[in-house]
Amino acid sequence: MTLNLCVLTPNRIVWDSEVKEIILSTNSGQIGILPNHAPIATAVDIGILRIRLQDQWLTMALMGGFARIGNNEITVLVNDAEKGSDIDPQEAQQTLEIAEVNLSKAEGKRQTIEANLALRRARTRVEAINMMS
Amino acid sequence: MSCSNLTMWVSSKPSLSEASTLSSRSFITPFQLPSQSSSPTPNPSSRSSSVTPIHCNLRELRDRIGSVKNTQKITEAMKLVAAAKVRRAQEAVVNGRPFSETLVEVLYNINEQLQTDDVESPLTKVRPVKKVALVVVTGDRGLCGGFNNFLIKKAEARIAELKSLGLSYTVISVGKKGNSYFLRRPYIPVDKFLEGGNLPTAKEAQAIADDVFSLFVSEEVDKVELLYTKFVSLVKSNPVIHTLLPLSPKGEICDINGVCVDAAEDEFFRLTTKEGKLTVERDSVRTETLDFSPILQFEQDPVQILDALLPLYLNSQILRALQESLASELAARMSAMSSATDNASELKKNLSMVYNRKRQAKITGEILEIVAGANALS
Repeated sequence: MTLNLCVLTPNRIVWDSEVKEIILSTNSGQIGILPNHAPIATAVDIGILRIRLQDQWLTMALMGGFARIGNNEITVLVNDAEKGSDIDPQEAQQTLEIAEVNLSKAEGKRQTIEANLALRRARTRVEAINMMS
Repeated sequence: MSCSNLTMWVSSKPSLSEASTLSSRSFITPFQLPSQSSSPTPNPSSRSSSVTPIHCNLRELRDRIGSVKNTQKITEAMKLVAAAKVRRAQEAVVNGRPFSETLVEVLYNINEQLQTDDVESPLTKVRPVKKVALVVVTGDRGLCGGFNNFLIKKAEARIAELKSLGLSYTVISVGKKGNSYFLRRPYIPVDKFLEGGNLPTAKEAQAIADDVFSLFVSEEVDKVELLYTKFVSLVKSNPVIHTLLPLSPKGEICDINGVCVDAAEDEFFRLTTKEGKLTVERDSVRTETLDFSPILQFEQDPVQILDALLPLYLNSQILRALQESLASELAARMSAMSSATDNASELKKNLSMVYNRKRQAKITGEILEIVAGANALS
């Protein structure tokens, strides 16, 4: 049985092809998905998606969304997705540093919410690069 | 024989009074423009329509014809550029369709499962309204008729309405034109200025959504309204107000009783050529809502899944609004530029007619002089 993965963002289709296995970070922790998985629906956290093609692992930074698994079809709906290989390491690192500074400077409930979100996104992108190397 | 009392009119709205003063003052009535009431927007050059009698000799007329010709070329080019961009805007909508279709499908299914539950999610919480956030989506450039003005007027009307209800408000302005408008009016509280960019992408929508989200969740505002220009067709677009938050999980999508929904109706516009002219068709495609596996399990609490889905839905709605607004702007620019081009060619025609007559009169005068001189000699 083959497993098909489809990663959709509002702009475009990021990934639509066959995979061997994926590891998805959901709101309640990471789950691994192999062919013939039971049909589930899950919320996807801001985090890393790892994809195995044959023996090769790929990483992708997901910016939060939703996934549906069933019938050997995985559909991931996310706000934004970037392949680890497409992220500029320097730029990502800088964004992370800026986000950290912003969080330490944040005042009030609203700014904290914003800064926290930005920090988590930035951290995920850096992690996606680190995991590849 | 002079045309010193001719007046120049560069306007897409010929008014009767203007035409009558014109014809009473000039020996010909060359500058009556064809009625172009189809475009409700005065073209940008109408600012120069003050009554300026020109003292024209032949060379001045020639220069004037040349400058009108140049203007026509520019407006023609702008029209074509706008037309090409409408096509790009349409592509962006098409690219986003797999996402929105799947999203609607999933929302439908989850909504069905949640029918019996009482859902509480931060984005759906209806609070008594004390403060309203208005997201005003304008364009980045001018020369598109009344596009930006119509929307800003709508925003002003809404602000006045909120004031009369005794509610406070704040504005989130998207697009350069709106930004400069609100910057000039410091008495309107503006929360954030954002720039639209060329083609709206999920990033821009995300920036707006983040802002709106934090405003709403931190309870700084109790309602978020989106003001944008809805694209109807190439010649028609409406400024509309759309309530963004709180989202209602029951109303937005098809519920079990078959009561519908705006989310399942995916509209997109398509640029085609009809009899050599550009037209835009707007397709409304009903998304099929398939039943997926009934043994589907929820990894988390359904409420948590809804929490994850609703921001996605919010984003896609904002993105849709940005795309519609861009399409309307481009369409408005297309029609404004096409009427400007028409006016320029009309003006050019009339000016060259006057020019030719003057030239002819001059030649006739010279011949008369020569003949008279010859007669006097003999």
